[in-house]
Amino acid sequence: MERFAQSTVYGLLQGGLYGLVGVGFSLVWGVTNIVNLAHGALVVAGAYIAWELNATFGLDPLLGMVVAGLVLFGMGYAVQRGLINLVMNAPIFMTLLLTFGLELVVVNGLVSTLTGDYRSIPTGYASRGFAIGEVRVPYGRLVGFGLAVVLTVALAAFVGRTRTGRAIRATGMDRGAARLMGVPVAHVYAVTFGLAAALAGAAGAVIGTVTTFSPAAAGGFTLRSFVVAVLGGLGNMWGALAGGVLLGVVEAWGGQYLSGTLVNAIAFAVLVAVLVVRPSGLLGRPFYEARVEAG
Amino acid sequence: MILGRKVPVVPAGTGLVLALALAAPAVADDAALRTLAGVFMFAALASAWNIIGGFAGYASFGNVVFFGVGGYTVAVLMVHAGWAFWPALPVAVAAGAAYAALVGLPVLRLRGHYFAVATLGVAEGTREVVLNLSHLTGGGAGITMPVLGSRATTSYPGNTAFYYLFLAALVLAVAAASAVSRSRFGYGLRAIHDDEQGAAATGIDTTRVKLAAFALSGALTALVGALFAFQQVTIYPERLFSVEITVLMVAMAVIGGAGTVLGPVIGAAGLQLLAEYLRQRYLNLHLIVFGSLVVAVVVLMPEGVVSFATGAWRERRLGLLDTVRRYRV
Repeated sequence: MERFAQSTVYGLLQGGLYGLVGVGFSLVWGVTNIVNLAHGALVVAGAYIAWELNATFGLDPLLGMVVAGLVLFGMGYAVQRGLINLVMNAPIFMTLLLTFGLELVVVNGLVSTLTGDYRSIPTGYASRGFAIGEVRVPYGRLVGFGLAVVLTVALAAFVGRTRTGRAIRATGMDRGAARLMGVPVAHVYAVTFGLAAALAGAAGAVIGTVTTFSPAAAGGFTLRSFVVAVLGGLGNMWGALAGGVLLGVVEAWGGQYLSGTLVNAIAFAVLVAVLVVRPSGLLGRPFYEARVEAG
Repeated sequence: MILGRKVPVVPAGTGLVLALALAAPAVADDAALRTLAGVFMFAALASAWNIIGGFAGYASFGNVVFFGVGGYTVAVLMVHAGWAFWPALPVAVAAGAAYAALVGLPVLRLRGHYFAVATLGVAEGTREVVLNLSHLTGGGAGITMPVLGSRATTSYPGNTAFYYLFLAALVLAVAAASAVSRSRFGYGLRAIHDDEQGAAATGIDTTRVKLAAFALSGALTALVGALFAFQQVTIYPERLFSVEITVLMVAMAVIGGAGTVLGPVIGAAGLQLLAEYLRQRYLNLHLIVFGSLVVAVVVLMPEGVVSFATGAWRERRLGLLDTVRRYRV
């Protein structure tokens, strides 16, 4: 029972981070119809920025997270505006290949400048924690979970309530109509991608404080983003958080009760099953189903 | 859409290249033969992917699963059942086709990115299952086929033999793609690519046609996977189910020209030789250069090199920016 409670708590806290990793991926997929294979690389890049700032200037990782988010917003904006926007109407393998090429460049750029060693960002509170009964809750992971929730709420509020957010949603629903209403579509796509990159970078910075990372982790983050986005429904930000928590808890239980890495097989089985049976996500409404592709 | 339909140069050129390829082991050294065998292998894989991804337009991002299934079928039969390689090979091909049909039944109902992600999920999930069935597959420690000594079921055939085996696989894959391209089946696939509902309305049994294409693609991929496993002797799930192999198949087919017969072969030859050159020239940076080149080609020639070149030849001008104008937002 204690093991069950402990693994559930651990899974919940880890799941919040998965949600933060996947939320931007889901937004980009939902709005621009780009499956960004470089998303995990952006997460790792954010972790490295925060690590570098901490190691060189002693900057607190929470401030490092803000800087990582800002830097990656700029990079994401530029990449979408300068590259991905050029192939938005090409067949989907082209956009997949493009983002895969970007992933190669980012990951191997990190490997060759900073080596492939495992690192983590030291914090004063990461190893401390408190206990509820027999269940231990580390402060570092609790802070990470809290940040994940806050950032997801902030993103949902931005997309749901601001003028730019409305432009993002309109472009996601019908690009042609949005353009006719005066929405600068190329700019909106770039802002969307920039936001996703910023959140990926922030997630990377948080992950860097609670666990080790290396450039090789990029692929794993991208795959988890798939699961999170599909479980939550494309473009559904609350869904991404819920999907992340679900994935985290299932992984933690699997790690506790199943042999080896069989839990990963289950995660992918769930992914395929959800895609086939309910492509709008477990709790998603079919928001982008009626998307109009022309224009 | 065979490349240069009106020009008899293509069959003659193909014959010449094939004759050169057959004669190459007489003059080339071992390293060159290994490189060429790698080119043939990826060209065969890209051609196999092209049947489902190029002709039917279903972007499978998990085709490596059939590569792995083929390789592991051969390995398990040789290790646990004491089979020789040759009888195990057709079983591996059948296993690839059967697995494609099994997976395709639910997954081929999806389209676009959903199909891509679902196939990726199938490949990753299958790898995890293979990894965890360690009593059968050896798990992460790998499985070694009996090819040496007295317990060998088939002795290791050597470098030149593998060169010819991969060449044979490539010829088979191209012949299959060429036959598909000209057949009623191939026109059915293209119709599905252009407009699936329209294809169904004209009487094409889209489910059956798509399943057949996926199974054919799976069978050819499994054949290549079985040869690769035999060549490696010891195989690991990480290698045989690596996402990168899928991405390379897709990149080669798409950069060469998806939906054409020779495009994937040209793309595979170009990318594989380029990758090999970069690996030797820029030991540390080759993947960065490779990634940048992929990005550049995608942005500048989103319809593939072959289609770009034929277009440029037809119109007698190099319009790099024309295609960019066509596909940007």
